[in-house]
Amino acid sequence: MLFFILTALGKFLVQNTSRDRALMQRIASKEPEALNELYDHYNKLLFGQLKSILKKTEEAEDILQEVFTTIWEKADQFDTERGSAYTWIISLTRNKGIDRLRSKVYKEQKKQSTSLDDDDVFHPLYSDENNPLENTILSDRAKRIYGALQKLSEKQRSVIQTAYFDGLSQTEISDEYDIPLGTVKTRMRDGMIKLRELLAQEMV
Amino acid sequence: MVDNNTTQSFEELCAGYVLGSLSSEEKVNFESFLETANEEQLTLFHDMEAIGSEMALLYPEVSPSPIIKQQLVEMAWASINARKGANVHYLSRFRFAIAASVVFMIVSIALLFKTQNLNQDLTTQIALVQEQQTTIKALETEVERKEELLTILEARDVDLILMDGLDVNPSGYGKVVWDKDNGQALLQVANIPKVPTAKEYQLWFVVNNQPISAGVFAVNDPTQDNFFKISEFQQANATGAFAITLEPEGGSSQPTGDMYLLGSM
Repeated sequence: MLFFILTALGKFLVQNTSRDRALMQRIASKEPEALNELYDHYNKLLFGQLKSILKKTEEAEDILQEVFTTIWEKADQFDTERGSAYTWIISLTRNKGIDRLRSKVYKEQKKQSTSLDDDDVFHPLYSDENNPLENTILSDRAKRIYGALQKLSEKQRSVIQTAYFDGLSQTEISDEYDIPLGTVKTRMRDGMIKLRELLAQEMV
Repeated sequence: MVDNNTTQSFEELCAGYVLGSLSSEEKVNFESFLETANEEQLTLFHDMEAIGSEMALLYPEVSPSPIIKQQLVEMAWASINARKGANVHYLSRFRFAIAASVVFMIVSIALLFKTQNLNQDLTTQIALVQEQQTTIKALETEVERKEELLTILEARDVDLILMDGLDVNPSGYGKVVWDKDNGQALLQVANIPKVPTAKEYQLWFVVNNQPISAGVFAVNDPTQDNFFKISEFQQANATGAFAITLEPEGGSSQPTGDMYLLGSM
C-alpha cells in the first residue's frame, strides 16, 4: 500500500527512478561513464551507510569499491519489475556491509551506537548539483523518516536503529541490551509496522 | 485464511530481513517463504523495504577517498579493454589458425608432390643406372672378349680356315683363325640362322673322317658377325677340316644334325 502510494507520487521513495534505470541500463551495456555518474550520485550515501555499520574507514571504502564493482558486473541482473535501482543498491550495500561485519573480528569489537540527534540529520544525496527543488525534496524526505522514527517508543526505536545503523543481528541486540530474543523480534516488528502507518498517514 | 500467529511470524521475519538483522538460516527461510507469499504479504514486504531504503537518508554524510572513484573508473575501463583485447586476441588466434592451416595444407601438398616426383625421379635414375651398369658390364665383357680375340689374331703364326654354307643354308659362311702354338682359335660365322630352342651349334674338327668336338655356341642375331673364342684347342694333327652342325643344347659326342658350314685346311 505504502510502496504503491509512494511510487505513484514519485517523490518520496524513488526520486530519480527513470534516471537510475537509464544509468543501470548503460552500465549493463558497459559504459564506464555511466558507472562514474552513478558513483557521483550515491557514493556519499553508501559510504555513510558502510561507515556507520563497519566504523573503519578502510573497511568501508573496501566494501564501497566492492559494491560498485558488483554493480558494474551484475547490472544486467537488476530487474526493474522488482523494485527501484535505489532500493537495489541500498540493499546490496547493506548486505555486503553486514556480511563483512559478521565475518571478521567486528564481532568482538565493541559496538558504537550511532546517534541521530536532530542536528546530525543530513541527507547524503544532497548535492550542489541538484536543483533547489530536488534538495528541498531530499531534505523533506530525510526529515519525514526522522520524524517518524522519533514517534516510535524508545524501545522500538533503539532496536531498529541498532540493527539498521550499527548492523547488529537480532541475537546480538538481545545480548547487547540483555533482553530476550523474542522481545527483540517483537519490538522490531512493532516498530516497522508503526513506521509504515505513520508514513502512510503523512502521504494521504 | 492466514492465522494471527503466521501473520505475526511473517511480520517479524520481514522486519528483521529489511533491517538486515536475521540469522543466515532465518534469511534463507524468509526468502523461500517470500516466493510463495500472498499479495498482502508482498505489499507489506515492499512497504518495509521502502522504509528501510528511506532510512538510508539518515546516515551521516561522509565522503570516501577520491582514490576509490579513480580505481573504479580504471577497473571499468580495464574490463572494457580486456574484453576487446580478448575478442581481438581470439579473432587473431582464430585467423592465425586458419591461415596456418591453409599454409600447412599447401606446403604438405607441395611436399607430397615433390616427394612423389623425387621418388619417380629416383626410381628412373636407379633404373637408368642399373641399365647403364648392365650396358657397361656387357661392354666390358665384349671388350674383354674382343681383346682375347685380338690376342689370337696378334699371334705370329696362325692358320686361316674358310668355311662355306652347305645345302641347308647356302648363304652362310665362316672362318677359323687357329693359333696352334697357344692351343686356341677364333671362330667367326655369318648368315646362319638363329638357333632354335634347346639347340646349339657345335664346331667339329674332322681328322681322318673322325669328328672331334671343339665346342658349342649359339647365334642369337644372324645379321651380325658372331665371333667366338675356342680355348684349349690342342691338336697334334696339322691338317683336317672344320664343320658346324646343329645339335641338341649342350652338344653331342658325334654329329647328329644338319651341317651348316664346312671348310678344309
